[in-house]
Amino acid sequence: MNRETEMELMRLLHGELPPDRERALRARLEREPELAAAWARLQRTWNGLELPPPAPIPLGFAQRVAARTREQSGARLPLPGEREMGSISWQAAPGWVRAAAAAALVAGAALGAGAGVWTGGRTSPVPEQGEQISGTAAEDGSLFGDDLAESYWSALDELGETPAAGDPAGDAL
Amino acid sequence: MGTETFGRAAVDPGWDALARVAAGETGAFAELVASHQERLLRLCERLLGDVEEARDAAQEVFLKAFRKAGDFRPQGQVYTWLYRIAVNHCLNKLRRRRLVRFLRWDDAADPGNRGHPENTAEAPPFDPPDRAPDPAAALEARRRWSATRRAIARLPAGQRAVLVLARFEGLSYRQIAEVLGITEGAVESRLFRAMRRIEAAQETDSSQVSSREGRR
Repeated sequence: MNRETEMELMRLLHGELPPDRERALRARLEREPELAAAWARLQRTWNGLELPPPAPIPLGFAQRVAARTREQSGARLPLPGEREMGSISWQAAPGWVRAAAAAALVAGAALGAGAGVWTGGRTSPVPEQGEQISGTAAEDGSLFGDDLAESYWSALDELGETPAAGDPAGDAL
Repeated sequence: MGTETFGRAAVDPGWDALARVAAGETGAFAELVASHQERLLRLCERLLGDVEEARDAAQEVFLKAFRKAGDFRPQGQVYTWLYRIAVNHCLNKLRRRRLVRFLRWDDAADPGNRGHPENTAEAPPFDPPDRAPDPAAALEARRRWSATRRAIARLPAGQRAVLVLARFEGLSYRQIAEVLGITEGAVESRLFRAMRRIEAAQETDSSQVSSREGRR
């Protein structure tokens, strides 16, 4: 039996033969005992290749993949089952968070007004020689933003939640 | 043969998940892992023949997929792409394993493996109990599994990959060619040579068994 015929038998085994060639080969198998014996041997070898069922997926496999990816890539990936928050949205924030933020805003405003009274007329300090003016008015006013963020995170801390992936505070992918 | 669609025409929603991974959507990666972990663990186990090593390998495959998510080109099925990463990764592991054995002058423990540089004699630690009530049948099943492991371990890496994908993953020649990045003719030829080797090894094994029995 030549190699071409052996290859044909392999194709027959895998269902890779076109129908007309399959019919022709099956007709030869009926007529040629040597070919039929080779076909039987090939089928026996193929079907005799058996492996045990695969091992079950280890518990926590997906968590380990996420942890390893995070460790090696520096990405902040949520562990499976961990709630993903997406980006911070005031609309999506619970009512108590918005209330806390409003309270912080009022407190910050009051603190700012009080500071203004306490410093008297020195609202536009003249820098000393060599001293640089440290920032713009917008930067000076970041106290409000910090307070808002602080109240948001501390409220989450109290609930035992951590900022999830997608938060501006978290690492980007 | 494979029952799942593998063709280019089919739209695989997995590409969308992969695109979201590349775009930085963090939940999408967990989704990808959940959808493909079973299949990749199984493939790695069959290629490496070692459960623990397969688990490590599958983790590394997902890590590579995460890193390469940005370079993907939607073509065929996502799992073809993942299979390609997994097969390449496992074949590299097998080659390293062979090199380590060569450097240690440490041939496989199984005497039947001597003279075959690409073999691996490690038996997987996971050997599930056969649910067959007949102990003789269970024993026979274990014997067949062990013989198959030995036969696969004796194959060169390229032939091993083709045989595992064809016999145990049920992929067609075209699907295997797609995964391995070779022609269908090369798949056919590798499979043919793999089967030739296995048949030859089985004949040698059976003649050794009969000569041992004849000496008793």
